[in-house]
Amino acid sequence: MKKRLPVFFYKQRLPIKGCSLLLVFTQVALGSKALAQSDTTKKLNEVKVSSSAIPQIQSSAPAQSISTADFKRTASFNVADAIRNFAGVNISDYGGIGGLKTVSVRSLGADNTAVLYNGVQLNDAQNGQIDLSKFNLNNVEEIVLYNAQPTDILQTARAYASANVLAIKTIHPVLDERKPYNIIAGIKGGSFGLVNPYLQWQQRLSKYWSLVINSSVQEANGRYKYREAGDGSDTLATRKNGDVHVQQADGGLYWAKSDSDKFNLQFNFYNSKRGLPGPVVYYAAPTNQRLQNRDFFIQSGYLHKAVSGLQLLINAKYAHSYVRYLDTGVYNNSGLIDEHYRQNDFYLSGALAYNLTSDWKISYSSDADISNLQSDIYKYAFPTRTSLFNVIATDLNIGKWRLQANLLNTYIHDEVKSGPAAASRSAFTPAVIATYKPFTSQNLLLRAYYKSTFRNTTFAEQYYYAIVPRSLKPEYTDQYNVGAAYTKSLVGIFDYINISADAYYNHVKDKISYIPTRSPETPSVVNLGRVDIKGLDVIIKSGFKPFYNWKGLLSVAYTYQQALDVTNPTDLYYLEQIPYTPKHTLALNAGFTHKQFGIYYNEIFSSSRYQNSNNVPEYYLPKYSVSDASFVYSFLAGLKPVTASFEVNNLFNKNYAVISSYPMPGRSYRLTFQITI
Amino acid sequence: MKSLKLQHLFIACAVATTLASCHKDKKVVPDDKPTAERAGLYVLDQGNLGSPNSALTYYDYTSKSLTADIFQSANSKGLGNTANDLKIYGAKMYIVVDKSGTVEVVNPKTAKSIKQVLFQNADKSSREPRSIAFYKGNAYVTLYDNNVAVLDTATLTVSKYIPVGRNPEQLAVSNGKLYVVNGGGLSYPDVDKTVSIIDLTTLAVTKTLEVGVNPYAVSVDSYGDVFVHSYNLYPANPELTIIDSKTDVVKSKTDFAGGPFSINGDVAYYIASDGTVKTYDVKNLKALSSNFVTDGTTFTSAYAVVADTQTGEVFVTDAKDYKSNGLVFAFDKNGKKEYNLTTGINPGSVVFVNK
Repeated sequence: MKKRLPVFFYKQRLPIKGCSLLLVFTQVALGSKALAQSDTTKKLNEVKVSSSAIPQIQSSAPAQSISTADFKRTASFNVADAIRNFAGVNISDYGGIGGLKTVSVRSLGADNTAVLYNGVQLNDAQNGQIDLSKFNLNNVEEIVLYNAQPTDILQTARAYASANVLAIKTIHPVLDERKPYNIIAGIKGGSFGLVNPYLQWQQRLSKYWSLVINSSVQEANGRYKYREAGDGSDTLATRKNGDVHVQQADGGLYWAKSDSDKFNLQFNFYNSKRGLPGPVVYYAAPTNQRLQNRDFFIQSGYLHKAVSGLQLLINAKYAHSYVRYLDTGVYNNSGLIDEHYRQNDFYLSGALAYNLTSDWKISYSSDADISNLQSDIYKYAFPTRTSLFNVIATDLNIGKWRLQANLLNTYIHDEVKSGPAAASRSAFTPAVIATYKPFTSQNLLLRAYYKSTFRNTTFAEQYYYAIVPRSLKPEYTDQYNVGAAYTKSLVGIFDYINISADAYYNHVKDKISYIPTRSPETPSVVNLGRVDIKGLDVIIKSGFKPFYNWKGLLSVAYTYQQALDVTNPTDLYYLEQIPYTPKHTLALNAGFTHKQFGIYYNEIFSSSRYQNSNNVPEYYLPKYSVSDASFVYSFLAGLKPVTASFEVNNLFNKNYAVISSYPMPGRSYRLTFQITI
Repeated sequence: MKSLKLQHLFIACAVATTLASCHKDKKVVPDDKPTAERAGLYVLDQGNLGSPNSALTYYDYTSKSLTADIFQSANSKGLGNTANDLKIYGAKMYIVVDKSGTVEVVNPKTAKSIKQVLFQNADKSSREPRSIAFYKGNAYVTLYDNNVAVLDTATLTVSKYIPVGRNPEQLAVSNGKLYVVNGGGLSYPDVDKTVSIIDLTTLAVTKTLEVGVNPYAVSVDSYGDVFVHSYNLYPANPELTIIDSKTDVVKSKTDFAGGPFSINGDVAYYIASDGTVKTYDVKNLKALSSNFVTDGTTFTSAYAVVADTQTGEVFVTDAKDYKSNGLVFAFDKNGKKEYNLTTGINPGSVVFVNK
């Protein structure tokens, strides 16, 4: 599907040429890699509309989810939109329909969030970050954000290897003989010149076999107006070079004898061309950077749970991605920069779990991954990286306690065709998760976890224009969390109320930091930075029935984050908040459904932030609050269910930016018609 | 941080050139009078590459007040994206802004804009002005599109574009001639290695000299020597090429681990590859001190060094991590720190303004 972080390229790009020429410096465009990315919004949405209407929040480590039915509630278009209400989440949003969107959880940075696609990690060896704007929601059934890791210990080993996990699950067909197929056709259109038709075909093939195929096309010119004050003009300017042209197809073949005997084979194809609108340029025309992606992967999974208590999970994947970066406004010999990257990823995972008793389960998972990258850039290393992940885990229930623990070994070995390879490394990282239910009659859960993880360098950090070899260490994170979750069913107007609160302390050391120097002899990536993060996530969610035949849902997520740079007491910004990290973020979602109508309102508030490590007035970014609204109407056309929806983003046309110099769009609209056959 | 060796390279040059040009162009348009009393200093903060956050920091010697971005406060707008050079000539100060394609001409006493001179193509894309030098009422601006623009400092209009080598960087005047270093860095590793010599009466290139590979900085002394610093291609060593401006031949080309020069009399100050500030005797063409700083002051990422030819003080900027605020340190002529100030991001140039 989609993966790959364009951005990085261009971020990194500049520096390089620079090496010799530009006097300038500094980071670019993307800005973020730097010390800290964080930004935006957060909040909760626990919504998981399962059989009971009560969202399940009582996971052992905090988990937040959103599913199909709720995408409209938050007027979401892509995965990044859908999770922006989660607590503890900062979306770095570079604005517009084609703008890069990455997620940093609890101020740990986007590189420390793994994205799983149907249980298997989307691995981008080059950039490490996944651009969530590339995932539309047409084929998504549920998105879950796990702090630490997924709860079930029957997992791939890789799922244990990141500080946080964002799990995307696509729609699986659930059909019976009476209607062995389901076809959903829809079209979205609206602001930014968006036209986005999509089609989903689900087919029951036999008692055990079924099939689903999705395809979509997205065309948008990406233009929008924004108010530019920094150049003294204070007029409306138009953001350009944000056009996107995407063709996408994915599908799966499923065999399910039972819940404990399942097989799947999935493919995903993503092809896109888009502009990379850089930072706003005062007084002159902006840049001409373009990005082309062609990604393909095929993956397969098999799950078997024997009555003996032995459980087996096998996953395999092959992924290929092609990236072309083009900049036509360059004063070099050819007048342009044209770079090509081809990445291959081979992945195999086996996990075995065993129920020692009904209350005690143990598991062992082992993954092997081989990634390589080819590129035509100057003196490229052509690295091939072998990564081995091995983890043992235990999950024990004793009375009111549930104790989970695991120990992960990661082994990484690089080979290169030219220049020196990074040193091989092996490391053990543990996690311990404990929950306690003090009352059998009450849905109160107390929980705590500790998790240590490390993030190895990406190919970009290690080898991209590494004219001087870079000696880099992995980036380590430690997370400590204590919290409580409480659910109460009610009678009367309120159906239920869910409350959870988690306080955490994270520490990041040896942060891998991009240094925008100009000299070819200077490492442009270094281990520089320590961050102390103290935070609080509070989530409240309630369902209620204000009137007969009306159903209401209210959710609020509040995040407090103090993320201080503790790198070096002599730094000017020692003990100051890291860039793009608001102290307070509040996300609120409220909505009503009445018969076939639904009306929803979403608001996200972010307190002020600084765009730089220095918390001084020059770098101050004011607080903002952005509202969205959506209206949904469902009816039958003939006998076919039709849904029409109208979504408005930035309802009050606020002028704001999440990332400095990347203005966000004003009010925009989206119309969707969808018919199910 | 010591490992951040060569970054210094890039910087200081600008300044050196500034000072140098002052010496040479004597007369015509009056420069700072050596007897005048300093009002304060400006630091040009290049900002983050590509981002519209270049700034002009002003420090007032009398009131001891520091203004983080006086261009912004005086003009209610930002300098733009990636400012690269700053110089005062006569009664005007010139700020060269690369990605914005502008030269902001301001009153040096107030930082108020006099005119914004555009260096842009028809589609408004920047021609990437890089550095500026002056001679007899004209300003000369290198443009990354392989030209030097001739700007009349009275009318502030461009009278001519002179084609030079690839991606010209700094330029300096000696013996009535303009020395333009052609870096060619945007085609790395197929870089340039020449200096274009322009006769300032005919405004034509009279000679193109081969110098060290990938030159980026040039400075001149009072003996007619032109010093050209080159990055070279790693792992080859950086080079210093010395041109005799009387004969326009290369006198010497040697490995030289540092640069560019800020010259005051016979002493050139420069940032060495090891991140310290060293001195070089331009009269005898040999190294002087191994460390100009005598009181133990160190820098995270020494970025530019500028000598005040009037007071003998030496200013060293520190870019720190290249993406947050930097510092400028003032030293007396003996290398003892006097004070330091906070600047913006990537403080690349320092100029001094008289009362």
